[in-house]
Amino acid sequence: MTEKKNLLGNGLGMVTHNKRYIVWFWLLSIALAAIGTVGLRESAHTILDHSLYAEKLTHGFDLSVYIELLIRPEFGPMMTTTLPAVYSAVVFFLAMALFLPGIIAGYASTYRLPREDFFRACGRNLWRFIRILIISGIVMGIVAGILFGINGAVAKKAGESTNEVLPFELRMIGLGVIFLIMTTLRIWFDLAETDTVLNDQKAVRKSIAAGFRHTFRGLGRLLGSYIVAAIVAVILLWAGLWIWSHAVSPESILGAFAVGQLTLLLLLIPRFWQRGVAVSYWKQYMVAPVVPVQPMAQVTPTPVTPEPPPVSPTPTPAPTA
Amino acid sequence: MSIRWKWIIPALLVMFSTAAIVSRKTAAAAPPATETKAPAASAQGGTLSIPDTTIAINSPTPMSQRVVHYEIDAKYDASKHAVNADEVLTYHNLTGQALDHFPFHLYQNAFQPQSTFVRESKLEGSRDTSYNKWESKEYGSENIKSIEVVGQGDLTKNLQYIAPDDGNKDDKTVVDLHLAKPIPAGAFVQFKIAFQTNFPETQARSGWKRDFLLGGQWFPKVGVWWHGAWNCHQYHATTEFFADFGVYDVKLTVPQYEVIGASGVEVSSVNNSDGTKTVTYHGDDIHDFAWTVSPRYKVREATYQAQMGPVKLRFLMQPAHWDQAERHERITRETLDHFEKWYGPYPYKTLTVVDPEPDSAAGGMEYPTFITGDTSWFMPQGLHLPELVVEHEFGHQYWYGMVATNEFEDAWMDEGINSYTEVKVLDSILGKNTSVLNLGGATVSEREEQRDSYLSVAEMDPMAENAYNYYSFNSYGGVTYGKTASVLLTLEGIIGQDTMDKAMHAYFMKYRFTHPTKEDFLKTIEETAGKDLHWYFNQAVYGSQVMDYEVSQAESFPANWYEDKKDKKAEKNAKDDTVYQTYVALHRKGDFTMPVEVEIKFSNGEKVREHWDGQSRWIRYSYQKKAKVVSAELDPDHTVQIDRNNFNNSYVVEPNTKPTYKLNNYWMFLTQWCGQALSWWAI
Repeated sequence: MTEKKNLLGNGLGMVTHNKRYIVWFWLLSIALAAIGTVGLRESAHTILDHSLYAEKLTHGFDLSVYIELLIRPEFGPMMTTTLPAVYSAVVFFLAMALFLPGIIAGYASTYRLPREDFFRACGRNLWRFIRILIISGIVMGIVAGILFGINGAVAKKAGESTNEVLPFELRMIGLGVIFLIMTTLRIWFDLAETDTVLNDQKAVRKSIAAGFRHTFRGLGRLLGSYIVAAIVAVILLWAGLWIWSHAVSPESILGAFAVGQLTLLLLLIPRFWQRGVAVSYWKQYMVAPVVPVQPMAQVTPTPVTPEPPPVSPTPTPAPTA
Repeated sequence: MSIRWKWIIPALLVMFSTAAIVSRKTAAAAPPATETKAPAASAQGGTLSIPDTTIAINSPTPMSQRVVHYEIDAKYDASKHAVNADEVLTYHNLTGQALDHFPFHLYQNAFQPQSTFVRESKLEGSRDTSYNKWESKEYGSENIKSIEVVGQGDLTKNLQYIAPDDGNKDDKTVVDLHLAKPIPAGAFVQFKIAFQTNFPETQARSGWKRDFLLGGQWFPKVGVWWHGAWNCHQYHATTEFFADFGVYDVKLTVPQYEVIGASGVEVSSVNNSDGTKTVTYHGDDIHDFAWTVSPRYKVREATYQAQMGPVKLRFLMQPAHWDQAERHERITRETLDHFEKWYGPYPYKTLTVVDPEPDSAAGGMEYPTFITGDTSWFMPQGLHLPELVVEHEFGHQYWYGMVATNEFEDAWMDEGINSYTEVKVLDSILGKNTSVLNLGGATVSEREEQRDSYLSVAEMDPMAENAYNYYSFNSYGGVTYGKTASVLLTLEGIIGQDTMDKAMHAYFMKYRFTHPTKEDFLKTIEETAGKDLHWYFNQAVYGSQVMDYEVSQAESFPANWYEDKKDKKAEKNAKDDTVYQTYVALHRKGDFTMPVEVEIKFSNGEKVREHWDGQSRWIRYSYQKKAKVVSAELDPDHTVQIDRNNFNNSYVVEPNTKPTYKLNNYWMFLTQWCGQALSWWAI
């Protein structure tokens, strides 16, 4: 009997054995953000670089000066200057969608996945992922719309109460419920994506169906693991912002950059961890069972000399980096 | 008018003025007065008077020229948010001429779909309601059921709605009453009015929300005779109020479970057998009366020792804000300290600070001795919004309450002057750079917030404009509040802070309990400063010119740049002795002209200050020194608050990229985080 592994531990192990994926995506996000904010940066250079007034932004952060900067005509319309930044966030998302199959294959692999295998998995599953993306977008969009609608209506109704805090409390409770439901849906489609890649499943509907079944079969373990990862993300974000605002001198540009980027780097881990959990679950519960070969009848056993154990069909794991 | 009256009226006025001056001068020495009445002949031959009571003020004699006495007996129906009341208004005709008609404000009629208030709000925006869709709960009304003039009988049929500002026949916020017989100058007249007011869900800081009510502008109120005519404007989206000083005796009958607060002092409270209670209030030398009820108020009381006597502070707090009651009291005390020290004494015996119902449009409003704050259950210590609102509304006790300017026509004189003193007081209490926000390394000052609100509408309207004639609600707000504060802060730089402080003190002391005009205010400043400031007032107050001076050039190059530098080593050795030709140019980009100073810093540490009258479009300074220019800065003492662009007020030769990269860190972080969040949920 195969020993069941802890999903969180096993998932985290996959992340730590494949740290390079996180670093790649972090570098990609920096590059995209740097490109996306070029317009903002150039506008700011023009106005701030030769002005003593701008020092109010260096020593502390005077929000009034920042607002004044944004409303300067030479800074440009906010839409024009911020749109590239929005695009870069979207490009990051698309890159994640493109390379995710490779990451899943890498996590499932017991050895360091060669680069060509990584990209092969990406290419092979591109169209499948687009289909899953569309279906998950429709499902999650509809569910989120309904849930947020209900949440808003409940909060509005609670607004008629004389208890001022009640709308906020109900909204928070509602958001908690929405988070749980949306996370459950995320687990479903994570399992579907994992199944598509690892089963090389051309019919994504089968993976989606399998993902749906297993989401509810292992909901406790999966949801618990996902929530732990999400809590870690919240803690990391809070800690990063706290250090940024309390421990970094307002004048230190490099310090702020380092803390900000370190926070973003660490923030990538929880989501990859959830992916590791999904792969771990798939390997333990969703992999197609191997049918044992039935012994042939009436064959007289002949004593044989014991031989050395057979060589594993999978290649020898390469030392991890 | 007959010759007889022409002689009698000036004589009466002289006598009255003399009496008022004498009584004010002898006020300190006189013993405390009790409730007394100074009888005078009424127009109907009876004996009418305005009481000269001092129950609600820490003064032995009246402090204002009392024109009106309102006696109101109001019963509040909490289930219908309605008031049925009987009002007795005694009016003293001090206009110097006979009056044959009296206009009354019926403000609550503003909350009707065809009113001028709603039309303007829908078109130009308003503070509380956009009126995208009309809802029945937004309906308010104020209906005079009957009006009798003592001695002339019931004149209800003589009432006629008028619309002096825009001719809107559907606007019912002003009603005019034509009398059967004119009221002679110097005489009294008494009106007996039965009226019903139905409050809307809170709009414009009046009305109900859930079981809370703020009763503001709720009773028929007579206009002000001002500059030889009745001044009784319609209620507009951007206007506030204007009324004469007098005495208020108001009985409010409300359910016993209600906690009640009102203008003036509480005289008595009697429980009735029908489950109601009648609470009586008395106000002296005030020009309006507001009240509030809610069953959930938690009450905090304290006493402040003011210059003229003790002031009872009463805080009506929402239960969820009870932990902020101490914050409210602290800022009230500190603000009182500053106003008494800088501008003059607070004479009233009470101040009620109301923390209104959450989500209501009742926050941030001023009535005599009665203000509403504005806070929320979540209010970190570094976010000073409750302090800001309470300070601002308290300031109105001076700039509106006592110095009772015409809020319809000179909104900047109450809101703007109050915003100026708000900046000063909050700077002093909460710090010059942190008076609004000091949280997580980010700061906002009230000084800059006022300036920012002005910048967005800088050229739209002058300050000296009727409040209802501004281009939009934003323009009204940005100019009356933000521009006025910035203009007066800049004026400090022109005449000196001490002189400005003296001028403000003189203005308050001279014009308290009167209705000064903008000319009175500006003249007081000129007289105190001993300077002709018309050049400034014409642009800043009466004009809409915009100021924008810039340092357009700051550069140096060797004076002997044309000489051949073959010997690099010798050049290096001679570097310190190089004489540089430096040019600094200033440019006036706006149409507001004003003398400006510029400070030029050189690489050897030397600083040079130049004074430019700012009249021409540009000026260029040149220097020959053994040093290069490092920076040039206009307004180096940072006294000008009305320059549209502070970034171009200085030029640093060597670029400093730190501010940009600091912002870039934020922008990049946000962009990356958004990308991650999107990826988290969508794939």
